[in-house]
Order: sequence, then structure tokens, then C-alpha cells
Amino acid sequence: MPTFDEFAPIGALLILSVVMVALITIISRLFGPYRPSLRKTAPYESGMKPIGPAVRRFPVRFYLIAVLFILFDIEVVFMLPWAVVFRQLGLFALIEMVIFIAILLVGYFYAWRKGALEWE
Amino acid sequence: MEFNIHSIVFLIFSVITLGGGLGTVTSRNLIHGAVYLIVSLFGVAGLFILLSAPFLAAIQVLVYIGAIAILIIFAVMLTRSMTRMTEIYNRQWSLSLVVSALLFVLLLVGIILPVWGPGTANAALQPSELVATTVDLGVAFVDGNQFVLPFEVASLLLTAAMIGAIVIARDRD
Amino acid sequence: MGNEFDFLTHLPAIMPEIGLAILAIVVLGLDLFLPESRRRSIALVAGIGLAALALTPLLWGPPAVPTGIGPEEQNQVLLFWGGMVRHDVLAQVFKVMVLLAGAFTSLMSIDVNGIGRKGEFYLTIIVATLGASLMSAAADLIMIFVALETTTIPLYILAGFKRNDGRSAESGMKYFLFGSFMSAVMLYGLSLLYGFTGQTNIYALADFLTSPAFGENPVPVLGAMVLILVGFGFKISAVPFHFWTPDVYEGAPTPVTAYVSVASKAASFALLLRFLVAVFPADMMIGGAEIHGFWVQLAAVTAVITMTLGNVVALAQRNIKRLLAYSSIAQAGYTLIGLAAIGAQEQSVAAVAFYMFMYTFTNLLAFAVVVLFSEATGSETIADLAGLSRRSPWLALTMTIALLSLGGVPPAAGFFGKFFLFQAAVAADLTWLAIYGVLMSIIALYYYLVVVKVMYVDRSEDESKPIPMSRPYAWVLGVTSIAVLILGTVGAQVVFDWALANASTLFA
Repeated sequence: MPTFDEFAPIGALLILSVVMVALITIISRLFGPYRPSLRKTAPYESGMKPIGPAVRRFPVRFYLIAVLFILFDIEVVFMLPWAVVFRQLGLFALIEMVIFIAILLVGYFYAWRKGALEWE
Repeated sequence: MEFNIHSIVFLIFSVITLGGGLGTVTSRNLIHGAVYLIVSLFGVAGLFILLSAPFLAAIQVLVYIGAIAILIIFAVMLTRSMTRMTEIYNRQWSLSLVVSALLFVLLLVGIILPVWGPGTANAALQPSELVATTVDLGVAFVDGNQFVLPFEVASLLLTAAMIGAIVIARDRD
Repeated sequence: MGNEFDFLTHLPAIMPEIGLAILAIVVLGLDLFLPESRRRSIALVAGIGLAALALTPLLWGPPAVPTGIGPEEQNQVLLFWGGMVRHDVLAQVFKVMVLLAGAFTSLMSIDVNGIGRKGEFYLTIIVATLGASLMSAAADLIMIFVALETTTIPLYILAGFKRNDGRSAESGMKYFLFGSFMSAVMLYGLSLLYGFTGQTNIYALADFLTSPAFGENPVPVLGAMVLILVGFGFKISAVPFHFWTPDVYEGAPTPVTAYVSVASKAASFALLLRFLVAVFPADMMIGGAEIHGFWVQLAAVTAVITMTLGNVVALAQRNIKRLLAYSSIAQAGYTLIGLAAIGAQEQSVAAVAFYMFMYTFTNLLAFAVVVLFSEATGSETIADLAGLSRRSPWLALTMTIALLSLGGVPPAAGFFGKFFLFQAAVAADLTWLAIYGVLMSIIALYYYLVVVKVMYVDRSEDESKPIPMSRPYAWVLGVTSIAVLILGTVGAQVVFDWALANASTLFA
């Protein structure tokens, strides 16, 4: 069974964030004037009138960026435990991580050259 | 089973997980469903911490909530017709209910029975033997006598997946 | 820790994989830097590179195992990289198979519109081959799953590679959905095994499962086994997990179909054989239930229904790729006979290995002809093959060799492939299964011969239009058909005896 001591900060942060949000909402509702109008309840777009509904089809480029993000995210997850013990491991471990990253860099380089990271 | 702080925390996270899951399947708005899914995944992360697997919990938050849930929301936004769909689309929900129930029974038989079923002395492995810390994992990834080979192959797989995603999703050749 | 690990002694076990990783990077580099006019050479680099790498398992063969040592010592000699891979003859043979499959697939893609000049295509083939190569040797639950995914994820991409072609996109999507679901089911089974035992090495699992520490309850083990077999059933397209096969085979670019039908299937059979023999070995009993007997019977039943469905449905096909898809389902059924005949020990393993070996060449040959034909005519219908013997005699002849081999007619290799399988079945007291297999082969002959008849007897208006064939295709057709003929005549007994003599290392 784990002791919760090491997770106390996370737990505290969690509770704090929930309490903060609740508090701000309640206080602003209690003390602020509440006079809704059509313009005020509309979705916020720099104070301007929305130019169209937010629910519409997005270009596939977003998807590509999201997939690349996931892949690099997973890559970081793999590096995390290695980084924790990096100092105890020595040269062999360093070389292995270099190979790991080098293979991924090849993919990154490909994405770059093919313009997958460019927006236009 | 004694009732202590762990039981309470377990209860809280179970409610979060199951409630999120229920919300995901019952919600008629896909975006709402995706948000419920995040709640459910968060509950799972909490359960991982209870099981002494903080690294898995970190992955759960980082990859599942931080990336996969976002990708699901992206995918919803990419498909025009799905975004505002609010009626039930699946006409075979009664069939899937039967399948889900069957799978659930299978899980009960497969997992609950061996642990508490008759004639099993499955206490040979104490959980403590299996608990691995993040340090152990870091060593296992790069130790030639452990998992270095799958580790390196995983990077190649990620690269191939990245290139495949670019090939398939790029909007020009 | 790292300092006691001698890197160099472990290197030979993954020589092909290292070569494949380097080749993948080279191919990608060529794609990035070659001008469009010279892109055709990417296929040649990939094909010749893969063919050269097919020699590496032979050059860096498994270490010699001293005779008369127990399974423990044998595993100490053969397991490498901390038990991730087992560098034995089974791995060696199947690695050669998948590397050759990759090489021929690359060469037969060279002139295919939309994929032939894309470096990404060859990179994906090479990574899939790397996964298949590791599958043939994997001896650890983690390695098994990573290798499986390294094979299948590139295959999903390959199936949907022609993304402007609706059929290809549909094929990729279906393959991905079914495949990832089945992977999840299989992963669940693997994780249950790990949960029961706390071990990941498949050669350590059996001991634990039969030890008193595990207890007497066979239900969880059987449950885990069934989940894993469902995953394998999908990979080898055994009935009832075959439903993806015709659609994916039809829609995917034809070279990809060839690759999926050969490399993925061969590696899956290698892994299935190794896994079942290691984890649920002969006479394994838990709580009075025959665990070993269970999967043997399951394999026999699956073989029967797979052969029946594959062959019967194939009779009704009009599209050559769908025909070959159902034919490949039936072929998986025959191979399962070899698996069910595991009681014949070495004979069963050698029969399965030989069958997959000859099937690799045969199916690649058949698909190479389909690639050439459909690229030239844009048609995949069997009726359109009419008059092929006058249009392109060599193409018709090589296709006939492939179809005869698939049907099991001498002098093509399929005859000996089936002969060894049925022989093993008889040796394992499964004579009924062998007889059923023979009956099914006779039914199968009908639809193979119909295609031959269409090519040679039927006439068409296009007979004067030749089918262009570039040199790489000539090489693929030539090498594979010669291999099929050699394996069907003088080579059969030699190769089989060699496999028989070396198969014992699997039964540690």
C-alpha cells in the first residue's frame, strides 16, 4: 500500500484548484451585477460579434499536428524514467538513448523536409 | 477488508472513473462525451497511484489526457457531420449491451474467480515483489539483460507511425 | 547492469534487424534527396538491400547447441538480449522468409502507380519486415507485443497507402479497426499471463503455471490462452476471424496484399508455434485439465472450418485478388493441420516451416503476376485474364506454376508442402484430419484450374496487346518460379530433412 505523503502536494493542488474555481464563480455571482443581454451571453470573440458558429469542420492539418504531438509526447514518456537514473547508468545507457533519439530525429527530419510542420 | 483512508480514496476514484465512463457512453453530444472520457481517464490515473504505479499515473495524465483525449476532440472537430449530431446513431445498442454484458461476465470469471475462487492459492506472488519504481523502469529500458531491444524497436515504430501519419494525412503530395 | 553485458556476443542474434534499421534510414534519405526522375532506384535499393539482408540469418546463424543438455541449458545458449529473442533455427528460417518476402514485394512495387516511387512506401515495408523478423524470434511477452505492433501498424499504413483511391482507404481503415481491436484482445491475454506468473519470458511461464504456487484452477489460463489465440487467429486469418481478409486483400495495393498474405502470415505462424510449444507444452495439466490437449484440439477444429470456408467461398469469386484472399484463408487452414499435429514433434514443426517457405514463393509469384496484369489493364477480374497465354506466354506460365503449387499439384512445391503436412498429421494420429485436408485440396483444385483454363482456353479481343514487363519483374517472376519448381522436385526432401534435423531445438 502506498503512503500518500508523496502525493500530498498534488492532492493539495487538486483541491486548491477546485476550491479556487468554485470560489471565483460564486463570489463573482454574489457580488457582481448580473444583467444578461443577448450580446453579453454570446461566445466571447475579442468583444466582437462572432463571425460564425464554432462547430464547423476543421482542416486536416490540425490532425497532423495532433498526431505529431502525440508521438513526441510518447517519446518524452520513454525518456522520463531514463532521465531519472541517467547518472547511475554510464556510457552504454547514454549510447542507447542516443540511438533511440537518433531514430526519432530521422522521422522528425523527414517531417521537416516534407513540410509537415509548415502551416501553409 | 478493513475500511481505511485507502478505501475512501479508492471509492472516490472509482466513482470518478465509472461516472466518467457512464457519461461518455450516454452523452449525446460527442464533445461532451470526450470531456467525460477525460474525467474517466483521470479517475484511472488515481487508481494507478493507489496501485503504487505513479509512473503509469503520470503516463495516464500525460499521454491519455494530454494527448489522446485531445486527439479525439480534434477528430470530432474534423468531421463536420458528427459535431452537432445529438440523436442516437447506433441502432444496435441492444446487441452491444448483450455483448458488453457477456464480456463483463467473462471478466468476472477470468479475474475474480482465480483470485477468490475455489482451490486457488494464488498468493504466491506478493504485490511487493512486482512493484517497480520509476528508477527500476529507467534501468530496465537500457539494460542489455532486460528490455533494451523492445525499447529501441519502439522508437523505430514511432518513427514509422509518424511517417505513415504524414503520408496519409498530408493534404498535398 | 550494463558493464557485465557483453554487447558483441548478443549482436549476431539481431543482425538482420540492425541491417533493416540502417536500410530504412538509407531509403528515407534517398526519398528526401533524390530528384523525381531518379526515384525509381529507391525500389531497387530497398529490394536488393532486403535480399542481401536475407543472407544475414544464414551468415550469423544460431549458436551450436551441445547435444544431450536439458531445456534450461539449451535456453541459456539460445536466448539473447535478456531473453527477448531466441536465436534458433525456427527464427533463422522464418527470418529468411520474411526478408525475401520484403525484397520481392519491394521489387514488384517498382512500377506500380502511386506507390512505386515513394520512399515512404519502402520504409514502411522495411519496418514491417523488421517487426516480422523479430516476431519469428520473440521469446518474451513484451517483445512479442512490440514485434507484433511493429509489423501490423506499418501494414495498416501500407493498406491505405493510395489514399486517393477509395478502396485502398477503406481497406486500410478496416484493417486498422479490426487489427487494433484484435491486438487489444491479445494484449489482454498476454497481460493476464503476466499477471498470473509475474514472468514475461515465455520459457519461464510453463514452469510457473504448473507449479503448486499457481494452484489448481485451469479456467484463468484457458481464458488467457483463448484471448491470445483470438489475436493470432486474426493475424493468420483463421475462421472465424477471417472476415477482414477479402476486403483488405482486395482494396490494398496489390504488392501490399502480397506482403500481408506472406510475411505477416509466416511470422505469425512462427510466433504461434513458438508460443504454444513454450507456454503450453506437451502433457501440460492444470487441476486435471489438459491445457496442451485443449489447444491441439482447437487447432484441429479451426483447421477444418478454415479450410472448408476458405475453399468453398473461393469457388464463387470473380475477382482474382478476392480469390487469392480466400485461397490464403484455406492455406492457413492447411498450415493449422501442421500445428494440430504437434504430437509429431519435429516433423510437425518442419512441415509447417516447409509449407510456409514454399507458400512464400508461391504466393509472391501469383501476386507478382496480378500486379503486372492489373497495372497494364486496370482490371482484377478473373474473366479478363482470358487469352493471357497468347498475350504474354511467360506470365500465363508462371501464374500456372503458382496456381498448381497452391493447388498442390506436382511438380510445383505445394505438393510436397501438403504431403509433409498430411504426413505429420498421420504421424500424430490425426489421420481423419489428413484425409479431410486431401478432400479439401481436391475442391481447391477446381477454382485454381478454372483460372488456368481462362488463361489458356478462353479467347479475348485484347490478345494482341502485350503486357509490358520491366527487368525487376522478370527477376521476381524468374526467381520465385524457379524456387517453386526446385522446392517441388529435387529441393523438397533436402530442405525438409534439414528442417527436421534442426527443429529439435524448439522442444526445449
